[in-house]
Amino acid sequence: MAVIEEPLALPSGTTKARRPLGAFSRPRNATGLVDWLTTVDHKKIGIMYGMAAMFFFIIGGVAALLIRLQLAAPNSTILSADTYNRVFTMHGTIMVFLVVMPIGAAFANYLLPLQIGARDVAFPRINAFSFWVFLAGGLMLNSSWFLGGGANGGWFNYAPNNGAAFSPSTGIDFWNLGLFIAGIGSLSGAVNLITTVLNMRAPGMTLMRMPVFVWMTLVTQFLLLFAIPVLTAAQLLLLLDRQFGANFFNVTQGADPLLWQHLFWIFGHPEVYLMILPAFGIVSEVIPTFSRKPIFGYPFMVFSGIAIGFMGWGVWAHHMFVSGIGPLSVTAFSVATMFIAVPTGVKILNWLATMWGGKLILNTAMLFSIGLVTQFTIGGLSGVTHAVAPSDTQQTDTYYIVAHFHYVLFGGALFGFFAGLYFWWPKIFGYKLNEKIGKWNFWGMVLGFNLTFGPMHILGLQGMARRMQTYDVSMGFNLWNLVSTIGSFILGVTTLLLFVNAWKSYSEWKAAGRPNVGADPWDARTIEWSIQSPAPEHNFDVTPTVSDLDDFWHQKYAEDDEGKLRQVATGDELAQPGNGEGVHLPAPSYWPIVLAFSLPIVGYGLIYSLWFCIPGTLLTIISIYGWALEPADDLDIDDHGHGPDQEMEPAV
Amino acid sequence: MRNGLSHMGKKFGSDMKILQSKPQLKLGLWLVGFLGLAAACADESKPLNTFDSDGEGQGPKATEIEGLITPIFAIAGVVFVLVIGGAILLTIKNRVKPEDYDPEDLPTQTHGNFSLEIMWTIAPAILLAVISVFMVQTIWDLETKNAEGELDVMVIGQQWWWEYRYDVDGDGFYQDANGDGVVDEKDAELPLTLALDPDDVVTANELVIPVGQQVDLEITSRDVIHSFWIPALNGKRDAVPGRVHTWSVEADEAGKYTGWCTEYCGLSHARMRMSAIALTPEDFETWIANQAEPAEVPEEDTKEWRGRETFAANCSSCHIVDEGDFNYDDYDPELITKAAPNLTHFATRSAFAGSIYEIYLGDKDGDGQDDTDANDNELDVSDYLILPQEASQEAESSADYRANSAQLKRWIQNAPSQKAMAPDEQRGMPAFPGLSDEQLDELVAYLATLD
Repeated sequence: MAVIEEPLALPSGTTKARRPLGAFSRPRNATGLVDWLTTVDHKKIGIMYGMAAMFFFIIGGVAALLIRLQLAAPNSTILSADTYNRVFTMHGTIMVFLVVMPIGAAFANYLLPLQIGARDVAFPRINAFSFWVFLAGGLMLNSSWFLGGGANGGWFNYAPNNGAAFSPSTGIDFWNLGLFIAGIGSLSGAVNLITTVLNMRAPGMTLMRMPVFVWMTLVTQFLLLFAIPVLTAAQLLLLLDRQFGANFFNVTQGADPLLWQHLFWIFGHPEVYLMILPAFGIVSEVIPTFSRKPIFGYPFMVFSGIAIGFMGWGVWAHHMFVSGIGPLSVTAFSVATMFIAVPTGVKILNWLATMWGGKLILNTAMLFSIGLVTQFTIGGLSGVTHAVAPSDTQQTDTYYIVAHFHYVLFGGALFGFFAGLYFWWPKIFGYKLNEKIGKWNFWGMVLGFNLTFGPMHILGLQGMARRMQTYDVSMGFNLWNLVSTIGSFILGVTTLLLFVNAWKSYSEWKAAGRPNVGADPWDARTIEWSIQSPAPEHNFDVTPTVSDLDDFWHQKYAEDDEGKLRQVATGDELAQPGNGEGVHLPAPSYWPIVLAFSLPIVGYGLIYSLWFCIPGTLLTIISIYGWALEPADDLDIDDHGHGPDQEMEPAV
Repeated sequence: MRNGLSHMGKKFGSDMKILQSKPQLKLGLWLVGFLGLAAACADESKPLNTFDSDGEGQGPKATEIEGLITPIFAIAGVVFVLVIGGAILLTIKNRVKPEDYDPEDLPTQTHGNFSLEIMWTIAPAILLAVISVFMVQTIWDLETKNAEGELDVMVIGQQWWWEYRYDVDGDGFYQDANGDGVVDEKDAELPLTLALDPDDVVTANELVIPVGQQVDLEITSRDVIHSFWIPALNGKRDAVPGRVHTWSVEADEAGKYTGWCTEYCGLSHARMRMSAIALTPEDFETWIANQAEPAEVPEEDTKEWRGRETFAANCSSCHIVDEGDFNYDDYDPELITKAAPNLTHFATRSAFAGSIYEIYLGDKDGDGQDDTDANDNELDVSDYLILPQEASQEAESSADYRANSAQLKRWIQNAPSQKAMAPDEQRGMPAFPGLSDEQLDELVAYLATLD
C-alpha cells in the first residue's frame, strides 16, 4: 500500500481563480450558524452527527417509554392498537438508523482523520453532504408524526403487510423514502471514509499500525458499502409497488413475499455488525489506555473484526428460521450462525486479557467499556441459544429476542459510545466530563438497563410475543412487565445524566476561565492525543511520521538501560503546539446542504403529488451543477491560519 | 508476587469496604432482593410457557426442543459466570485508585500470546461443532411427516383470526374447475384465489386434534404473513400468503393449549389468538363427525328463526352457515381475504373474535365454581363436546353455566370498538349500529343453535 508522503495541495497563488457566477463562490470567513451549515471540517461534521443522533435519541427514547408505559399492566388502553404499532415501529427505526448508525458515523468522522494523521477526509464536501442527507432523511421520516402518523409495519416492515392494500396510510411511505434518502448519506460516507483510510494515512502508518478503532470503522464502512444498496433495492421495489402500482410483492399477482425478507436481512444482518463494530473499536482504545497495557493480541482483534465482517454476510437467514425456507437452508444458516460467535468471543477474551495484569484506572470511560464487555457477553450468549434453530422456533418473535438485541445494541453499542464520549470529550470540547456524575450515569444505566431488558428474557421464554399492543391477565406476564417498565424509567432518567453532565462540566469549566485540559489528559496511546484539545481546525501542524502501533505512547515511554520502561516525556511536552500557519484547508461550500435538502422535496412529491417532484428535481440538478462548477477553492482568499485562535463552541 | 496472597486479601478487604460505601450498589442489591421476593410470591399460570416448568403438560415436539436447548442454556450459564465473574474479579483486583496513579509504575507490557489466542479460538469452535450435531438432528426430526392418509389439517391465517380445514373426504383440500377433488396439491392454485373443497370441515380459532397422534399442518395465509404458534405443542411456523408451509403438532394429554400469532400482522396483531384443543381419539371422532353435519334450520316463527332472518340480511354476505345447500360459487365477500369465520358450528367452539372472548361463561366443569375467572385458563376438555347443550341463556348467578350473550351482542353491534379493525379497507368486521337490541337477542339465540 502506497502511502502519500505529502498532503494533496493545489498550486497556490499563481493562478487566478475563475468565478463563473457569484453564487458559485464559496462562503468565506463564515461564522456562527452559516459556518456550521457550510462547513466541510470533518470534526464539525462529526459533532453535528452526534448532536443530530442525540436529538433523535430523545425521540426514540420517548417512544420506548411510551411502549413500556403501555405494557406496564395487562389490557392497558393508554395507547390504541394503531398508535402502539406506529410507536414501536418508529422506535426501532429511529434507534437503528438515526441513533446507533449516526453515532458510529460521528465517531468515525471525528476520529478517523485524527487517528491516521490526516488533515481531513478524502472528499470534504461529500462528507458534509453525507451528514446533511442523513439529517434530511431523518427529518423527513420524523415529519410523518405530524402528517398522518408514523410508519406501522415494524422496523423490518415485512411484505405484503407493507403494501398499499394492508397499510394504506402514508406512514410507510415516509419510512421508505426517509430511509432511502438517509441511505444515500451512508453510502457516500462509506466511499469517503474507505478512501480516506486507504489513501490518507500518515507516513509510516501501515495497515497493521492503525488503531483498532480505525480498523473496525474500515470494516464497518465496507459493510455499509455493500449492505445499503441491498436495502435501497428493496425500498425501490416497495416504492414502485406503493406509488406506482407495481407488483413486486403483490401475492395475488404471483409474487413471493419472502423476497422482501431475503433482501431486508441480507442488508439487515451486516447492519447489526456495522452498528456494533464501531463500539468494539472504541473500547479497544479505551481499555488499553486505562489498563496501561497494549491491546492484547492486536492481530487477532483486527482479523476477528474482519472475520465478523465477512461472516456477517452468510447468516442473514437466521432471521427467517420460521419463515418456511426449508430444513436444508435452516441447517446451513444455523450452523453458520453458531460459528460467528467464535470471532466475537475472541474479542471478549482479548479485552479481558488486556485487563489481566493491568493497572486499571476505573474512570467513567473505562467503566462503560467494561460495561460493554459484560453486557454484550449476555447478548452474545443469548444469541447462541437462538442460533440453535429448533429452539429459535420457540424464541423468535418473542421478548427473548427483544432482550437479546437490546443487550447487543444498548448494552453493547450504546455503552461503547458512552465510553467513547467520556474518553474523547476533552479532545473534542476542551474539558473533561465530571467523573462523579459520570459514575452515577454509568451505575444508573447498568441498573436501569438490566431491570428493563433482563426480565424480557424471562417474558420471552414464558411466551410473550413481541409487537403486542397488549396482553391478557391470564397469560401471567404482569410482574416482569411491571419490573421492566420501572427499569425503563430508571434507564431513561440516568441516560439523561449525560446531558446534565455536559452542561454542568461546561459551566464549571467556563466559570474557571476555560483552563487548558492539555493535549493528552489520559496519558493515551494514539496520535490524536498529540495535538491540542480541542483539536485545532487544521488537526496536525506537521503531518506526523508513525513508526509503531500506539505511536504516541511509544514516544512517551521507552526502555532505559536496564530494560525497564520509563516515561521519557509527557504527552503535553510532545504535543504539537497547534500552529496552523501555512496549512491549506478546503474551503466551505453551500452546495452539500442544498443538494441534500433538495431530495426530500422529491420525496414529498412522490407521496403527495408528482408535481412537487419537478422543483425538487430541478433543485437537485442545479445543486449538482453548482457543486461541480464551484471553484475547487477560492485561491485569492487567504485560507491560511484558521488555527487555534478559532475556538469551537462546545456542543451544549 | 512474593506477598501476593496477603496483598490480595488486603486489597479485597479494602475494595469490599468501597463497595459497601457505594450507594448505587446498595440500591442495586436491595432491588435484586426485592425482585427475588416478588418472583417467589408470584403465582401465575403461564399458558404460553416454552418450558414445561410448571408441569402443565407439553407435547413431544416441544419436549424435544426443550431437551435440546436445556443443556445449551447450562453451557451458556457456565460461560456467563466465567466471563462476567472474570471481568468483575479482574476489575476489582487490578484497580488502581487515582491517588495511587504513578506514570512510572507500568504493568508488564504483554502484547499477546499466540497459542493462547489460538486455543480460545478453536475451543469454542469445537464446542459449537458438537452442539451443531445435536441441533441438526433436531431440525430434521421436527420436519418428519406422517405417512399418507393420516390426519392433515390446513391452517389459514388472516387478519386477525385463524381458519382450520380438515380434509374429511380424503380428496385433498382443493377443488378443480369441475368441482372434483384435486388430490395433488402442487397443481392447485394457492389460497388467495384457490377454490377450496367445500366438503371439508371448516372451523375457526380452535384447532381440534386427537391426543397421542402427530397432526400435520399445512400452513398458509390469505393476506399478510402470520405465524402459527402453540408453544406447548411445537415451535412456530410462518403463514405466508402464496406459500404452503408444512409443520406439525402433537399433544400427549387432553387439554387446551393456547397460542397467539407471532408475526406482526398489522392493526390487531395483539388480538389474534388461538388454541389447540386435544381430545381423546374417540371424542375427536365424535367431534369431527358432528362438524361434518350441516347446520339445522330452526323452527319457523321462533326467536331463533327470526335471528336466522337477521343473519341472512346482515351477516351472510361474509359468514357461511352451511345448511347443506350453500352455494359456494356465489360466495364472494367484500373482504381482502375473501373469507370470514365459518359459523356452521359456532356454538361448539369455546371462543370467538380471534379467541379473545369466551363463548361460554360460568361453571364449565360442574364443580359449582365460576370458571371464567380471568386467571383460569383451564377448560375441562372432557366437557368440550357438550359445550352448547346445557348453557342457559338467562343466567341467575355468575356461577351459572351460560352463553356469553352480553359480549356477543356488543361484538356484533360494534366489533371495531372491541378489537381494532379496518372494515372500510375490507379488513375485519364492520359495526352494525342499525340492529335493535331485540334483533341482537334473536341473533345470539340463533347462533346458540349452531351446534
